[in-house]
Amino acid sequence: MIKLRHPTLALGLACAAALGTVWAAKPLDAAPAAQRAIAPAGPDWRIVGMRRLTEAQYRNTIADIFGTDIRVAGRFEPIVRPAHELIASGARAASISPAGLEQFDAMARQIAAQVFDPAHRDQFVVCPGGSGATPDRACLRPTLDRLGRLLFRRPLSPDEGAFYADLADRAATAGGSVDRGLELALAAMLVSPHFLYVIERAEPDPAAPGRFRLDNPSRAARLSFTLWNTTPHAALLDAAAAGELTDPARLRAMAGQMVASPRFASGIRAFFADMLLFERFDELAKDPLVFPYFNPAVAQALPEQMLLTITDHLLTRDGDYRELFTTRQTWMNRPLAALYQVPVSRSQGWVRYEFPEGSDRAGLLGQAGFLAMYSHSGRSSPTLRGRAVRELLMCQPVPNPPGNVNFTAVQDIANRAMPTARIRLDAHNTDPVCAGCHAITDPIGLTLERFDGIGARRTRENDAPIDVSGSIDGKLFEGAAGLGQALAESRDTATCVASRALEYATGKPVDDSARVDALTDRFAARNHRIRQLFLDVVTMPEAYAVDAAPLSGTATRSRRR
Amino acid sequence: MTSLKTTTLTLLTGLAGLAAGFAAVTPGEPGTVIAQSSPELPPPPANGELGFVVEEFAPPVVQGKEACPDGTVPKLKEAYLASLPEAERARLALKENEPEFTRRWQATAVGPGNTNICSQPDRFRRPLLRTVQSPTAQGLDLDRGAGGESCEHGEFTSPAGETGIDNQEYRVMGCTLEWRGKDGIAGDIASGLRQFHASGEWTQVLLLRGIDSFDRDDDVEVIYANTADRPPADAKGRFLPGASFTVSNSGPRHRNVLKGRINKGVLTTEPTTIVLAQTWGQGGARDLRGSRSRYTFNQGRLRLVFRPDGRLEGLLGGYRPAFEVIQSPAIGGVGAATTAGIDCAGMLATLLHYADGVRDRKTGKCTAVSSAMRVVAIPAFVNDLPAATGASAR
Repeated sequence: MIKLRHPTLALGLACAAALGTVWAAKPLDAAPAAQRAIAPAGPDWRIVGMRRLTEAQYRNTIADIFGTDIRVAGRFEPIVRPAHELIASGARAASISPAGLEQFDAMARQIAAQVFDPAHRDQFVVCPGGSGATPDRACLRPTLDRLGRLLFRRPLSPDEGAFYADLADRAATAGGSVDRGLELALAAMLVSPHFLYVIERAEPDPAAPGRFRLDNPSRAARLSFTLWNTTPHAALLDAAAAGELTDPARLRAMAGQMVASPRFASGIRAFFADMLLFERFDELAKDPLVFPYFNPAVAQALPEQMLLTITDHLLTRDGDYRELFTTRQTWMNRPLAALYQVPVSRSQGWVRYEFPEGSDRAGLLGQAGFLAMYSHSGRSSPTLRGRAVRELLMCQPVPNPPGNVNFTAVQDIANRAMPTARIRLDAHNTDPVCAGCHAITDPIGLTLERFDGIGARRTRENDAPIDVSGSIDGKLFEGAAGLGQALAESRDTATCVASRALEYATGKPVDDSARVDALTDRFAARNHRIRQLFLDVVTMPEAYAVDAAPLSGTATRSRRR
Repeated sequence: MTSLKTTTLTLLTGLAGLAAGFAAVTPGEPGTVIAQSSPELPPPPANGELGFVVEEFAPPVVQGKEACPDGTVPKLKEAYLASLPEAERARLALKENEPEFTRRWQATAVGPGNTNICSQPDRFRRPLLRTVQSPTAQGLDLDRGAGGESCEHGEFTSPAGETGIDNQEYRVMGCTLEWRGKDGIAGDIASGLRQFHASGEWTQVLLLRGIDSFDRDDDVEVIYANTADRPPADAKGRFLPGASFTVSNSGPRHRNVLKGRINKGVLTTEPTTIVLAQTWGQGGARDLRGSRSRYTFNQGRLRLVFRPDGRLEGLLGGYRPAFEVIQSPAIGGVGAATTAGIDCAGMLATLLHYADGVRDRKTGKCTAVSSAMRVVAIPAFVNDLPAATGASAR
């Protein structure tokens, strides 16, 4: 333990000082240096957004900066998803509760202790005398400046550097160890809002007088978190420091390298996990008596199968996005294979699998993950499935049911007089209040009824044959394969993913339909390749033009003493 | 699929038809294995292959009071008490004399040199155990009534009326509490073995190749092997059909290649030595997974019936070395004797007394007992070893 008399207070002050930098216009005498933490990029810069790191982004960042052997243990406060939006949009409005900050503080201390333990410290301590020099206080500033740049995704300002070095120095004195000082200062950085939030800053746009654009460090963060779901790497920070990311050609070149990298798969996984509401898998529960094939191993495999299918099709095969709804190619592991009743050769891990031609297992909608997620715990649900298709894949919000709905007919699944979901829904829809919305969802969802509440195949329900005819926007089809084909042919699916990609990158839902249409057209012109879509999204100048209204007031105001 | 080129994979093709076609086969009463021909036999699987995972593998016990009219085999404690004069029995039965009683009966389980009747059962002379008295038992006719290498023994008749049944293991062990339990309820042996199968410790799979007909096919290859893969099960512990398994190619696992034939929906295999894995307990001296041992069925053979629901059900028969039958309590050592009260020495002596197979060339005495295991297997996908690994993975 550090023998600082009030180490917690010191850390708290550091954190509060940093918070004050962003959120308060009042001076904070406890840490005057930190009040000027944000190095001004120009005379009229301003903070225009703050996006809280997701759990995955936090973990990826720690792993990238400090190594995958640094353990991150703690509970992350969830970021609330706004209705019909992405978590990426919710992150822009996400606060941290006192309890949440305690968790971040505990994690920060654990991480810092590991970074400066004897097994790791030599990788991170930078001394003026070089790597062979005996660590002393002269190492504090260069070590913390280097780590601060990586953690805050920009160089530390001189005041910030001095502040953290001073904090470390005082802790080293009290604790009798340079390492202890570094540990405390690093822990303070890890609870700083400059680390926990991606802070977007704007500067005047020289090409459009009176307008603002994101500055270079903010662009670096956007590129990295959008494309790789992690913190900017050194080359990207260097490019930002050199001002290259406001050069459209250099920006495109850098983004082009990033979408060509294998690490783009992490970004795509994060994007689709957000777009398809994968956080719901954490709460997925099924009745084990009704669905004996559902178990923890299957629950864990369901989202992974979908993500493997997505990344394999879109990245490894460089496939057409629309074919995600028709492809018979997927991945299997042993637990899932039992649910699908197909063979898997390997005892451990995943293997490629292709459903036979003519199989109704077409695309993402034929996968157990989607089918199980949009079902009830003991039965399938054409309505939930149809709604999910509308909302998630076509970006068409469906109203919630009124509070006084009588669900008796649809829940009575053992009623031999109404053996199938179609018959039960017909009975339910005799109420005109219900029929309106069900007409939007059920003709879609009923085509997936040959899959039960966990996505296992069935041909009959209550010994009655299952009718899987359906329609979407007047187009008639049969079964999951027909639905997948209809979605593949619909422009709405392409428009939806394009708008979601833009929302994901900017952290804001897109209300400019003309911009989305143009993006969709370019997406189509590039044969609906996801790499091209994201390359467009992260390089389109409009996405970096920001509202003039600052989040924190003008720089002049924020720096007022 | 990536690695299917190097593995053989069963497909469940034709299982639905199989189930439908065998609807006329006699439904499976537990232990009833005599097949009847079906007027409607299904087409064979398209690729000639079917896979199964064994869900039940335990000695078949015919329940009923006539089997053991004097009750189950006394435990060591009971046997010791019964050996005493009546007055002494009454005295030791008193509560205050329990420590003395315990000390005295447990002393019968240990011998000089730190030996005990389960770890060194051959060093103790114990009376023979009670044996099954009824003429009925499950099993196969291993010697076809001709004797041959067999030693003199009595034969049973199966509950379905088949004569010439050889099952001396059942004759000896069938009255132990572990096997019989209470009448009408399977003993510990059935539930215990089921747990071992469910744990993946010694899971068995069957892979049938070259099936051309379920009515008559004289050339079916049967791979009867262990797998390290744990079977998925429902909330009640029943195995789930359609899971994938791979024949184990490492560790003390076994792969038996049997020559089989199908006649009227009944699969039989030619006699050969069949070896399968068994693992007892946990944290054994040689392995964290427990002490490893084997099932050895000399002149072993299968007789299995294709059931309407897709299962295979029947018997594995053969001659098991006498000591192998008691290897579980033998591994348990003195604890098996003093805690579970098992008279391993008496068991071994009785097994050798009734042994009817595998003559010792020097002594001319039989060393193995005829045995049967009830086998129930459910449909599964079974990946065989890569061809390059060879036929044996023992």
